[in-house]
Amino acid sequence: MSAPLPDESFTLTINGQQTQARQGERVLGVAGRLGIEIPTLCEDSRLDPVGCCRMCLVEVGGQRRLQPACTWRAEAGQDVTTESPRIERHRKLLLEMYLADAPPVTDPHPLTPLNEISRLAEAHGALDRFPAACSEREGREDANPYIGFDPELCISCARCVRYCDEVEAVSAITLAGRGAGTTIATAGQIGLLDSTCELCGGCIDTCPTGAMHEKKPLAHTRTDSEVSTVRTTCNFCGVGCQLDIKVQDGRVVQIDSPPAGETLNDGNLCVKGRFAYDFIHHEDRLKTPLVRGADGNLREASWEEALKRAAEGLLGVKERHGADALGFVSSSRCTGEENYLVQKLARAAFGTNNCHSCAAT
Amino acid sequence: MLPKGAQRDRVLKVVHDTSQEEVERVSRETGVPAADVYGAASFYTLISQPDAGARVCQGLSCRMAGSQELFADYLERGEPAIYASCIGQCDRAPAVLSPKMAVVSQRSAGAVSAANPELPMNLGGSDSLDYSALARSRELGGEGVLAALDASGLQGRGGAGFPAGRKWRAVLGETETERYVICNADEAEPGTFKDREVMLRRPHLLLEGLAICAETIGAKEVYLYIRGEFQEPIARLKAALAEVADGPLAGLNYHFVEGHGAYICGEETALLEAMEGRRGMPRIKPPYPTQEGFRGKPTVINNVETLACVPPIVLRGGEWFKGLGRTEAGTKLYCISGHVETPGVYELPLGVSLDELVAVAGGYVGEPVAFSPGGASSGFLPISERERALDFASLSEVGSMLGSAGVVVLNETFDLAEAACSQAIFFEDESCGQCAPCRIGTRLVHQALKGYLETRDPNALEHIEDLAWEMEEGSICGLGMVAALPLTSAIKHFPAAFSGGGQA
Ligand SMILES: Cc1cc2nc3c(=O)[nH]c(=O)nc-3n(C[C@H](O)[C@H](O)[C@H](O)COP(=O)(O)O)c2cc1C
Ligand code: SF4
Repeated sequence: MSAPLPDESFTLTINGQQTQARQGERVLGVAGRLGIEIPTLCEDSRLDPVGCCRMCLVEVGGQRRLQPACTWRAEAGQDVTTESPRIERHRKLLLEMYLADAPPVTDPHPLTPLNEISRLAEAHGALDRFPAACSEREGREDANPYIGFDPELCISCARCVRYCDEVEAVSAITLAGRGAGTTIATAGQIGLLDSTCELCGGCIDTCPTGAMHEKKPLAHTRTDSEVSTVRTTCNFCGVGCQLDIKVQDGRVVQIDSPPAGETLNDGNLCVKGRFAYDFIHHEDRLKTPLVRGADGNLREASWEEALKRAAEGLLGVKERHGADALGFVSSSRCTGEENYLVQKLARAAFGTNNCHSCAAT
Repeated sequence: MLPKGAQRDRVLKVVHDTSQEEVERVSRETGVPAADVYGAASFYTLISQPDAGARVCQGLSCRMAGSQELFADYLERGEPAIYASCIGQCDRAPAVLSPKMAVVSQRSAGAVSAANPELPMNLGGSDSLDYSALARSRELGGEGVLAALDASGLQGRGGAGFPAGRKWRAVLGETETERYVICNADEAEPGTFKDREVMLRRPHLLLEGLAICAETIGAKEVYLYIRGEFQEPIARLKAALAEVADGPLAGLNYHFVEGHGAYICGEETALLEAMEGRRGMPRIKPPYPTQEGFRGKPTVINNVETLACVPPIVLRGGEWFKGLGRTEAGTKLYCISGHVETPGVYELPLGVSLDELVAVAGGYVGEPVAFSPGGASSGFLPISERERALDFASLSEVGSMLGSAGVVVLNETFDLAEAACSQAIFFEDESCGQCAPCRIGTRLVHQALKGYLETRDPNALEHIEDLAWEMEEGSICGLGMVAALPLTSAIKHFPAAFSGGGQA
């Protein structure tokens, strides 16, 4: 777990344990290495820490006020405490305020990820005992088919906004208004389809409460049978993003990214990987090769027959017009290895350099 | 991630409202994504509500003087009007800002201390164009100026009381040589209107203080961040600058930045965010502005009054200034309003008592019951504290603070629960919304008080202690930390006002 630390590492103390850290590291990360869990809401390893949710406040020796572990820089000789009656009281009260302002839905749909507020409230014994805050957060009419926003569940942690800016460099959404009315908005509350949004759905992925949510699967899934998860590779392009496909009764009902930090796509997906799965069960989907019969109509064929027919056709063109009358264009959905094989086929089997991949431009 | 060449710090200068067309236009003009433009613009009330009509001040002093009736009058006449947070005219309560940002009030501008050349700021005296303190500071050199500042004991007048000399030295100690000076003239703490009078009456004193600061810390660019509701002071300062820009101030570049209606931008890091074209949400400290301030460079941010004290200190010496104080160093501009005869700004030795201050302001009106010594943020004290020194240390001893020295006196005619509610409304309206303890806490505190005022049922206030504790512990900045104080201090000192009966 702990890789050898470079020379400039130093020692500090967390909950009485001495540990090593490097210049620039934050307390949250150092504590994490020790297996010390500090609750967070606005933190996402892909984003710059901002310390606004106040969930991760800890005691730092010499500091009168509690300080956010996510932003506080570890320093030599520092003495950090992450568990104390003061911190526990803070966590409980803070969560109780969140419960008053953005109460989790009581009967969540099985495909909505667990609301972090619910999880933390349970872990810290926070009760729904304050009167409802009834903050008026503006929502927005939005016809896009994929991404929904429920202002009632929003805790203004701005993970979605920062993700859209820092990871995607798209900046389609923003914090808007101020105070209790702070909400997530597009420019002038236009629909996402009219904004710069690329519908990657990363905002959904990073949202800790389900305020940013997926519209699609909620309409599709049944609530009475089990959903299993299948880890697989996206085949829309050659990058190889990993997917967690949710399957119910043999049908794909939702696609998620594995958690950030777990696979090479680091929790990110594009609009196709996350949302374009309707083709899987579509009735028009090609499932076997088709060849044209003597009557001019397409009929199902074996792979052997279909490949033979293609080879004959290609060789026929080469015979009649020469190899350079042929051209090979591979799909952007091919992997690098497949692209290699296509050019090899063009050059070695047919003798032409006319080859290209549509992903090359 | 901003597109290359985008000019974020122009956004708030050029955006007029939050309409779709305007946001798109500003996005094209500045290269800043449209959503960011909208997010920033929607934060500021002067931009998000551009044509709201008259802005009726609902600050405590104005409320005590009948702003609610005034508001009702507007509506009855069919004239568009909205409530605004304190507009800094407490001496003319009840006050209104016209749609063109002119102050409307039945009362004439407030009083100030009579001219007296022995007073450092001497608001009643005449402003001088000779800039002799600037000349003197050049003779003294940077170290000489700093020594005078240190000896003067000058504590920042913006609220926190941080020693001015130490702040300037911190910037001097940075290796980065691109540095900035910013004058914090966002004055918006309810009950406070002293910076306004300095800008109106002694603009040259302020410009000179800024020049001395810039030369001492090695800055060329000087910024004045002035709340947009202060059109008259802005005009006065600009005119003053025009008189001397090519004379004594040659070589320095002064820039004016107008605020757009957000009290929180008085907090120094929120002010920096606003100057950089963003939503005015305070930054997490450290780093402090002296380390990473405007555009990430070392920056001195000082209050108007702090800077106005600098020229006299340079001219007459730190010891002289220090000796003018009573319990702490120097003189202080005390703003006084509410139930007193002559509201105004009085320059008095730091550490005078409420009784002394009110004596200068013509005496109490009615039977005084309570006072707020330093703006909404300082909560309420009972009149039994009338002889306590109004200074930084003595007031913090009783869980209050000198803050901006915006003193408001309440007599027996005004309900303490109403007063606390007025402050709660202010903090709820002005919370930036960034952190939950403040965003949700200010909301819940206001709701609880509203509930109490409607029902007079003390149960409405049952969670206040917990909420106040968490707001103080968990908030990012000073706003959230003190936002429950008006209520908790009022409950502490005036329990009868919150036990179900009417008045305390
Ligand atoms: C909520 C809040 C509002 C503030 N408003 C003002 C203000 O209007 N003017 C001001 O000078 N300082 C204000 N301050 C204090 C500034 O953050 C800062 O301490 C001050 O400008 C530093 O100048 P000084 O050292 O000369 O006092 C405010 C602080 C907080 C937390
Ligand atoms: S305490 Fe209030 S004003 Fe300050 S950062 Fe938090 S939400 Fe904003």
